[in-house]
Amino acid sequence: MFSAIAYRLSTTFLEEQQVCGASSSAMSKKPAAQPTLHKVIMVGSGGVGKSALTLQFMYDEFVEDYEPTKADSYRKKVVLDGEEVQIDILDTAGQEDYAAIRDNYFRSGEGFLCVFSITEPESFDATQEFREQILRVKNDESIPFLLVGNKSDLGDKRRVPLDACRERAQAWQVPYVETSAKTRDNVDKVFFDLMREIRSRKSDDSRTANGNVRDKVKRRKIKCAIL
Amino acid sequence: MGPPPVVTGISPKEGPPGTRVTIRGEFLGISATDLIGLKICGCDCLLSAEWKSKNKIVARSGPCKGRGDIIVTTKSGGEGTSTVQFRGYHESVGPMKESAVWVEEAAPPSVPWGRRPMSPTAYTPPDPLGLSTEGDDCKFPEEELHELFPDGSGKLSDENFQPGWYLLEHHSNTSYEDLKAGMIFLQRKVEGQKEGQLSFLKANTGAVMDQLDRLVLLKNMYEEDHRKNGREPLPSLQSAIEESISLADSLFSEILSRKENADNTREALSLLTRHKFLFQLPSSIDKNIKKKEYDLVVNDYTRAKNLFGNTDVKLFQKILAEIDKKIEELKENLYNRMKTMPINVQEQTKYIRLLISLNWEGDAAWTAILSRKDYLMALMNKVKDHFKQKEEQESNEKGRRRARECDWGAWRAAWCGAACGALAAELHALWPLARRYFAGDLAGEPAAPQRHADLKEMIIAAVESFSEQMRACLLVGGAGSGAGGAAGGAGADVLRARLVANLRHLRDAYDSLLKLDLPSQPLSIVEKVIFDYRVHGMTVFLQRAHKRVKSLAEKETWKIEEFSDYGAITNLPHLLETYMNEALSSIHKCVLNSGRRENPLLNEGSEPSAALQRHTQQILLAYVTVLRELALHHEDQDFNNTSLSVALDQRLDESCAGGAGGGAAGGAGGGGARSWQQRLLIAGANAHYTRRLTLNNILEAFHTYGLPKPTQAIQTTKDALSTLESSIAETYLEHKGDPLVGTIEPSMYMGRHQTDAEALVDDARPYVYEIINNLIAVHAEVDSVCGAASTRYVRDICETVCEELARLAACAPRHAAAHAAPAAFQARLEYTLLRIAVAEHLTRKAENYLMEALAGLPPLENEEDKKRMDNIIQGFKKRMELQLASLNCNMETV
Ligand SMILES: Nc1nc2c(ncn2[C@@H]2O[C@H](COP(=O)(O)OP(=O)(O)OP(=O)(O)O)[C@@H](O)[C@H]2O)c(=O)[nH]1
Ligand SMILES: [Mg+2]
Repeated sequence: MFSAIAYRLSTTFLEEQQVCGASSSAMSKKPAAQPTLHKVIMVGSGGVGKSALTLQFMYDEFVEDYEPTKADSYRKKVVLDGEEVQIDILDTAGQEDYAAIRDNYFRSGEGFLCVFSITEPESFDATQEFREQILRVKNDESIPFLLVGNKSDLGDKRRVPLDACRERAQAWQVPYVETSAKTRDNVDKVFFDLMREIRSRKSDDSRTANGNVRDKVKRRKIKCAIL
Repeated sequence: MGPPPVVTGISPKEGPPGTRVTIRGEFLGISATDLIGLKICGCDCLLSAEWKSKNKIVARSGPCKGRGDIIVTTKSGGEGTSTVQFRGYHESVGPMKESAVWVEEAAPPSVPWGRRPMSPTAYTPPDPLGLSTEGDDCKFPEEELHELFPDGSGKLSDENFQPGWYLLEHHSNTSYEDLKAGMIFLQRKVEGQKEGQLSFLKANTGAVMDQLDRLVLLKNMYEEDHRKNGREPLPSLQSAIEESISLADSLFSEILSRKENADNTREALSLLTRHKFLFQLPSSIDKNIKKKEYDLVVNDYTRAKNLFGNTDVKLFQKILAEIDKKIEELKENLYNRMKTMPINVQEQTKYIRLLISLNWEGDAAWTAILSRKDYLMALMNKVKDHFKQKEEQESNEKGRRRARECDWGAWRAAWCGAACGALAAELHALWPLARRYFAGDLAGEPAAPQRHADLKEMIIAAVESFSEQMRACLLVGGAGSGAGGAAGGAGADVLRARLVANLRHLRDAYDSLLKLDLPSQPLSIVEKVIFDYRVHGMTVFLQRAHKRVKSLAEKETWKIEEFSDYGAITNLPHLLETYMNEALSSIHKCVLNSGRRENPLLNEGSEPSAALQRHTQQILLAYVTVLRELALHHEDQDFNNTSLSVALDQRLDESCAGGAGGGAAGGAGGGGARSWQQRLLIAGANAHYTRRLTLNNILEAFHTYGLPKPTQAIQTTKDALSTLESSIAETYLEHKGDPLVGTIEPSMYMGRHQTDAEALVDDARPYVYEIINNLIAVHAEVDSVCGAASTRYVRDICETVCEELARLAACAPRHAAAHAAPAAFQARLEYTLLRIAVAEHLTRKAENYLMEALAGLPPLENEEDKKRMDNIIQGFKKRMELQLASLNCNMETV
């Protein structure tokens, strides 16, 4: 009986704490009239330079040493074609150790930068899997997506032929861009190009409102199925 | 107050307590000490925070749960915001799981129910399914859950608890089999609870009793307390606390104040070391300026400006002011150096760049260009003044004209060289500087609208001043120097060498300007100078030739050089040809050829071409004048006429022979003492020769040297020479023929009274022989000089003789009437004999005169007379064979 009381007591305490946490998070979750938010997700094998690209884009810095990512989040305001927008970058883990948590992340993405290293054919092969996983999760063939060949500064160590890259992008009907996080070559371009696709995608969606609704219904159904 | 911190990146974005997170963003503090607060999801994490840079902080997350902002607070920017969030979650840690959190061994969470949690925050309700959640890293995103269950909750204790949420949150990875097992477990538990509280009490009797005892104890103690202290226990507690506060204060205040001092000192020291750079800057600037390491100064200065530019610290401001002052001085100094000529252009560019990096307000490069231009102009003037002065000085010191002239030339050459060098060198510096300026390399305002025009003007002004100077130096005074050079014997070579040298200087300068790629206008100014100088050179050569030709009269030695087809000539025509040749070859060698990007000297119809024509004509006409002077002017010598008349002067024969012999001998042994008539004839021959041969040779030479043929001048000269030749012939005739003719009448009548009218005429009278002799003398003289060309003179004289005879015959009829036949016979005889004698020299006019004279005589009446006449004529021919042959030898039939 007393332990039951004690149990009660402990749960109320937890409850109180929860309320505090919830209220504080609710407060911070309601920013006033924020600019449009575009959610970008970096995918690709480990060590291909996803974090390097992100940090270069965000902070103009290049990190030499490799520190595997788990899941990083970045968000800042940028000016896209004269309009102020927010870009939210989710830098995901490339290491296989974290492969299990990917699915959840992919759900929230509006556009994907699928990165591989032109010096590493394995990473190029892996893009195929990433693509399939994204399509499965998003269930949308024309999700904004860029195939990115990184480390273009290491041209002499190139091991993935340019033709193969182009061919794959062609097959997927997505743009292919080569970048270098080290020299900042094309870094801005890939992020901005992707944001443009996301933006035009959104405006398409809102215009064909009907399709949108149906889409949502569909998505919901899929989730139910998972449940 | 600086801008507030903004966190824009978090890595990783979620994790259990103690996760090492990298926080990125902006204005995250200007130093480690500036960072005074860090909260992740509401948990204070300052203790673990490691300030890396104003963009990066590394920290460990606190024991928070759920999603929350990362708030950085700095002294300089206050409390910040974040655009990203961190999510803390608690993971159940088992013995197999590596964990950063220390695990209380005594409280394994796998034991359900019964144990009190160690601390409320670390408490995780046990899994109702009895499944281990260990290794379940795959957290289902919270947003999704919120979306799926808008008003549900995943907490077991919540009223709106949603099992779906709970399962998704905790068991999204659990297999179906496990879930089924869990279900059974849960059912069993519920069954167990239903079994009733009695069994529960039974099982725990000891513990329940124990608890009841404790409660009773607690109640007793509480009641006793209440009795002892009454209803208000607080005031006594408060006073006790206050007492202990004041005691603690007194105990620690001293220590605290000492610590504060120590802190202050330490802070000051660290400040000093951190800003050592700034404090040492003034002296290091001095040192570097002294060592001329201006780049270092500039770098240090920009660094200081960047670091402390908008500092509020008074001390820093003071030092900065000091530094600023030094830099101002340095700027002034650099500016002056940059302006001060002479300076090479690299140095100057260096100074300009330094000034630019030191934010010089003015247009340093333009100033540099201006000062360069001023320097160039000053330099040109200095060169000019220097040589002008030297020239004056010299002319004062030395009276002798020739010496001055010679030195003059040398100086002018030096002057020209100096000016050319100065112009080329300075423009070589100025132009590239200007080019870089206009390319925008040297800041300033190269785009200012006037600049281009200004620069162009400057360069034109410089080049123009150069051109004026060169004109003054080479073209104006040049005539004098040319003349001076010509006067000296070695003048020609010196003159030519100097001209070539000057021209080379000019061309070198022009060439180097061409290389600079200057605009065409200034280039054409220089080109014009060169061109004019070339024209000038040509003129000088021609003038020199002119001068030499004019003084040819003095060179005439009357020594016969050659017996040409046109008579005996001295070397005057050859000299003319030589002089002309020399002048033309000099022109050809020195000035005719055009250098790079120069106009050809003698374009058809151009002024220089005309000048060439004009000068050539002047020279040739001067030559004609010289010939004329030589031929016709005879101050001291009279025409030797007296010796011509045999009848009047007995010495004629000797004299004539002497004259003729002298002519021949003179040809070989130098004709120092030539008689005037000989000179006349020689001059005629010279003129003739020149007209026929020399002029053509000269024309040919023009062609050989690539000069346009002066056809006009040659034609004019030919005409002039023809005129001269005729006037020489006339003069000769006048002076030789007239006296000869004059002797005829007197000698014809000399023996008339002695003549017996009735006597038989058997010979011509002596005057006929005299005429013949005279003609022979003339012929000999002319022939000795003119050779094949002598006919002209003899013919002319014959003509006048015939004319005189005709005139005398016309007067004769009076006598003929009186003396009748014998006289007529004699006259006929005489005319016939004369005609035979001069047959070869008779012109038509002369023939007519003789016919006229014969026609005035009565014809021969009888055969006897005719026979007699024939006999006499035959006799005459026989007797006079030698004379007749000499008179008619060497004849060319015209
Ligand atoms: N030369 C060169 N090196 C690069 C480039 N991009 C990344 N790197 C290096 O590659 C290594 C891995 O880069 P990360 O950006 O950490 O790789 P990642 O894709 O984020 O890897 P995970 O986080 O494990 O998925 C680092 O050492 C980088 O310095 C690039 O463009 N050129
Ligand atoms: Mg990474």
